[in-house]
Amino acid sequence: MEAQSTSLNYLPIIFQLLVALGFVVFTMTLTHLIGPKRKTADKLVAFESGIKSIGNARQPFSIKYFLVAILFVLFDVEVIFMYPWAVNFREFGLNGLIEMFIFMGTLLLGFIYIIKKRALDWD
Amino acid sequence: MSALITLSVLAIVVLYLGLFKAKNALLPVTLVGLAVVLGLAVREWNSNAAPIYSSMMLFDNFAVAFTAICVFSTMLILLISKDYFERISEHVAEYYAIILFALTGILVMVSYHNLSMLFIGIEIMSVSLYILAGIRKKSYSSNEAALKYFLMGAFSTGFLLFGITLLYGATGSFDIAVIKNYVISNPTHISPLFYSGLLLLIVGLCFKVGVAPFHFWAPDVYEGSPSLISVFMMTVVKTAGFAAFLRIFLFCFAPLHDFWMMPLMVITILTLFIGNISALYQHSFKRMLAFSSVSHAGYMLFAIVALGSASINAVILYATAYSVASIIAFAVLILVKRQMGSDNYESFNGLGRKNPFMAFALTVAMLSLAGIPLTAGFIGKFMMFSSALSEYHVSLVVLAVINAVIGIFYYLRVVVSMYFKDSDQHVVQSTPIFSFVLAFSAIVTIVLGVYPGLISNLF
Repeated sequence: MEAQSTSLNYLPIIFQLLVALGFVVFTMTLTHLIGPKRKTADKLVAFESGIKSIGNARQPFSIKYFLVAILFVLFDVEVIFMYPWAVNFREFGLNGLIEMFIFMGTLLLGFIYIIKKRALDWD
Repeated sequence: MSALITLSVLAIVVLYLGLFKAKNALLPVTLVGLAVVLGLAVREWNSNAAPIYSSMMLFDNFAVAFTAICVFSTMLILLISKDYFERISEHVAEYYAIILFALTGILVMVSYHNLSMLFIGIEIMSVSLYILAGIRKKSYSSNEAALKYFLMGAFSTGFLLFGITLLYGATGSFDIAVIKNYVISNPTHISPLFYSGLLLLIVGLCFKVGVAPFHFWAPDVYEGSPSLISVFMMTVVKTAGFAAFLRIFLFCFAPLHDFWMMPLMVITILTLFIGNISALYQHSFKRMLAFSSVSHAGYMLFAIVALGSASINAVILYATAYSVASIIAFAVLILVKRQMGSDNYESFNGLGRKNPFMAFALTVAMLSLAGIPLTAGFIGKFMMFSSALSEYHVSLVVLAVINAVIGIFYYLRVVVSMYFKDSDQHVVQSTPIFSFVLAFSAIVTIVLGVYPGLISNLF
């Protein structure tokens, strides 16, 4: 467990950083310098999939959207744990199966809680 | 480890009790469950624990002792929570469940054997507390407390993680046993990454326990949160923070004492002066207690500055004394504020005549916090100072004694209000449970002050 890396070994990371930054600066300056600038009213309107934009986007909307979105993320992320488990299913054996069932059971309890609390009812 | 599993299951059970409208069973089930957790934890005392779960956790005597203190304080706090949460909103079960989840994180924090578990424990606890600080949805100060705590907490977690990362970079492992071996086997050429990581870890942990110059969130958060949550944060959470702090320093960083001693000493002195001098100028009893909690964090840092085998005993005794006294102070504060509508010193006027028992308990608590002999607070300070003196930090002890004297001044202000000022207010109504908690905590404070050997020789 002897760490043999010196600060010299990290030099490529700095190069990578410089290249990334340099690319952004270079392309943005270049397009600003050589691109034509013809502004019309239509060009300055926010692009909304071809539909005419109506009003300001920054207005209050129902908290229910937020609730549904965050619950979706919560139960979506759990799938990330399933993939490595599924790949290593044989190595984990029966113990892994039991542990996964405990994990899924806990999640299921949370899901029942949400349904019972009527967090997903829209009205 | 069965204590940790029981506690997690208990939290889910409480959540479901609330779902099925068993409102009256919430508090009894929580308290009985916590008693079981306490029993399970104490049963593992001296069981020669080995690291478990791929050496992620180690439930040794250190963990058992701090688990016991934290669970015990939580039980006392929950006893006075009867009718408290019902006044805030109808989501009472959730409040209990979140407190239990925070306690689960605390159990992880005191028994970690891997830095990733330290991080996970701190996060489980912190996220629960961000919610708890803001449970008064309609109150601006509660919202401010939650937001401030969240922003500062997230920020400090960044420091903590960066520190852990650099330690990993230097040693190649999160396991604290490997880190310890690295420090011991390379006494002369420790990587500069390691030192930077250590300093960032100190910054992160200092944020969490709220010591100067990382204390700015503490007074506002403690004042803005509902009183019952404030007392939970000031006692249980602070104890757990110091347990986590002490565990890694005692285990890994003790050989590097010369390196980190100086920064921590400066932090300690700053904390003592800032906490005590700011507390002097407060008009609100609650805000005074918030600043005093900053200064008490400074006293507890003594154990880490003068790191040695006596440190654990000193922190255990100090944390117990401080927790019990704070619980008394907040129990009285909750009753007084509920009936007077204000938490200024003036609300306590005449309490000595109208409620002699309550005033007596609060006096005991204030004397203990100030460190007057025959109370547990005195023994706590005594142990802290004597361990510092044995390491020849004489100037530090002199400064701390000056601060203790400043402390006496502001702690006794409320005692003066209670006994020497009159007012035409009514008697403050107490309930049997409140009286029980007050009496029990006062007895613990005095018994520990007279006979500290009960818990001062555990290690």
